[in-house]
Amino acid sequence: MDFATLEALRLKHPAWRLLVADHAPFIASLLHQCFIESHARALPRAELASRLEALREGVRARRGDEAFPREASAYLDEWAADDAGWLRKFYPPGAEEPHFDLTPAAERAIRWLEQLTERPFLGTESRLLTVFQLVREMADGIEPDPAARVRELERRREALDAELARARAGRLERMEDAALKDRFQQLADTARGLMADFRALDEEFHALDRKARERIATWEGTRGELLEAVLGERDAISDSDPGRSFQAFWSFLMSPERQEALTHDLERVLAHPAVQSLEPDARLARVAFDWLEAGEHTQRTVARLSGQLRRFLDDRVWLENRRILQLLRGIERHALALRASPPGADFMALDGPALALELPLERPLFVPPSHARMEDAEALEAGEDVPSDALFSLTTVDKGRLKDNVRAVLRTREQVSLAEVVRAHPLQHGLAELVVYLGLASEDRRASIDDARTQDFLWSDASGRRRRATLPLVLFLR
Amino acid sequence: MTTPLPNPPASQDALSFVLVSLMKGVVSRDESPGTWQALLQSSARVRDQLGVLGLQLVLDEAEGHAFLRQRAPVDGAPELPRLVARRQLGFGVSLLLALLRKKLAEADASGEGGRLVLRRAELRELVQLFQPEVTNEARWMDRVEADIEKAVTLGFLRPVGEGADAFEVRRILKAFVDAQWLGEFEQRLARYRAHLTQTSGGEQ
Repeated sequence: MDFATLEALRLKHPAWRLLVADHAPFIASLLHQCFIESHARALPRAELASRLEALREGVRARRGDEAFPREASAYLDEWAADDAGWLRKFYPPGAEEPHFDLTPAAERAIRWLEQLTERPFLGTESRLLTVFQLVREMADGIEPDPAARVRELERRREALDAELARARAGRLERMEDAALKDRFQQLADTARGLMADFRALDEEFHALDRKARERIATWEGTRGELLEAVLGERDAISDSDPGRSFQAFWSFLMSPERQEALTHDLERVLAHPAVQSLEPDARLARVAFDWLEAGEHTQRTVARLSGQLRRFLDDRVWLENRRILQLLRGIERHALALRASPPGADFMALDGPALALELPLERPLFVPPSHARMEDAEALEAGEDVPSDALFSLTTVDKGRLKDNVRAVLRTREQVSLAEVVRAHPLQHGLAELVVYLGLASEDRRASIDDARTQDFLWSDASGRRRRATLPLVLFLR
Repeated sequence: MTTPLPNPPASQDALSFVLVSLMKGVVSRDESPGTWQALLQSSARVRDQLGVLGLQLVLDEAEGHAFLRQRAPVDGAPELPRLVARRQLGFGVSLLLALLRKKLAEADASGEGGRLVLRRAELRELVQLFQPEVTNEARWMDRVEADIEKAVTLGFLRPVGEGADAFEVRRILKAFVDAQWLGEFEQRLARYRAHLTQTSGGEQ
């Protein structure tokens, strides 16, 4: 803890950077609320952004509009950037939008802040007992002499017998309120700490993986030597100390009886008046489930990293990667030299991934144009006068936006009906918008309009009245 | 290029389903798990059927994707008409694909989560270094946009999220932009450069 180390820490360590950040209270309160309080491990950007927005609005209402002028997502990206390092931004498999998780460093800073406001720990008794317990376990674990072990077990049995006798005689030693509170505080603290451990473990595993990859990528010797050096590392992730400890934790937690017993006992403890007086966090009751969830996240990380590392070590891939990087250096050099006069026209050929089958019959044949009829058989209310300015307040429908809507829905599917498009992107201008959709469908060679079937559309117009339209079935195809 | 069709029925139709899916484009484990499973179960039969058409199945279980390739002609046998179309790519797109391949290799080496997602601005930055110095910036931007669009139609970039601002570099790129292709690219560039030097009298 000398001056130079601390000076470097203040500049480099994300936790310290968070504490001295201009908006530290804002950042810490948001991250605390989103990740620590709710025990969340990963949040999609939209959700995190909307919560940030809510907090930002609250602050701006009090401080004026100059405070926090930027968009929510800009803040998130800044906090995830390397020079902040408070959030980890990543794309989980199959997800369309980036997700964020708190970094362990930021979590430590926030926890430290939390401790500043927490009431101090009541007693030291439970901690002392924990220490004794740990020491005894270790001593038992390393005891080489069977006779000594037998003596110890017998001593414990006598103590147990004595306690049994007292209980049979109707004498129970009930724990005093102070002792109960003391233990409960320690329990809550440890339980929360475990959640933090998962996050730190994740980072640890990522670091192990990165280290192995770096060695592979920069390896100068032969492949045989590489395999020898890295073979240990292949299981480096699950065989490391943190990896094993995590596995043991996981198999302990996975037992249904233990989970049930824990949940049941916790319920009883939480219901006790002395514990109630501490106003315990309600989430503590289901902490086992939160552990399971967070542990599963870590479990998946380990599996994914091991798989990727194995793939990366695959010799074909390894050799090809080196050759490719070499070729790419050549290409970049040439391309740089040719900057001023790049080759025109077609330069390279590439096999297409799909077969080029386009049958003439796939082009639509002539279809007699269908005549759209507007029917308002359900115009129930016509009692009041229709204000004539309704005729002038025209709305414009942005055709490009509707096209984008259709394209967005088609991105994940082969075909969609208009009703499904509208469900994903609700109507903003009612009938006018539907008409434009119909127009789009009639211009699109790959869309079809089927008069034989119909779909109903429901929406509320500007005055809040429910409207319904029945249109022929419109299908958009990719 | 991938078509996530609905899950195939469990009956003998599975084979037809797999064949048609393959003909329509890349089958990927993550995007159409049902088809992928059916493909793994019937890969031998799929290969037989495709052989008749002069096609070859490329199946990468580790990466989790499969696609079709034109089989190299056997000596003596008459060459079949090509079913797999060769697409002509401009210099810009070719360079973009090569640079994306590099990004993938780098991402693999650093172990960042397995999915490579780049923002539009990052893609522009990637090729910026290679733009002519005196140039009409707007026109150059348009060309880069067109190149990105082309990479999307080829199926090597996939827009993610709503704003169309971010693109995932799909790992299938590795199967197409391989050492052989890059080698050819490099040679062509070298030839072109030599040609330029000759015609401009050795100034380059």
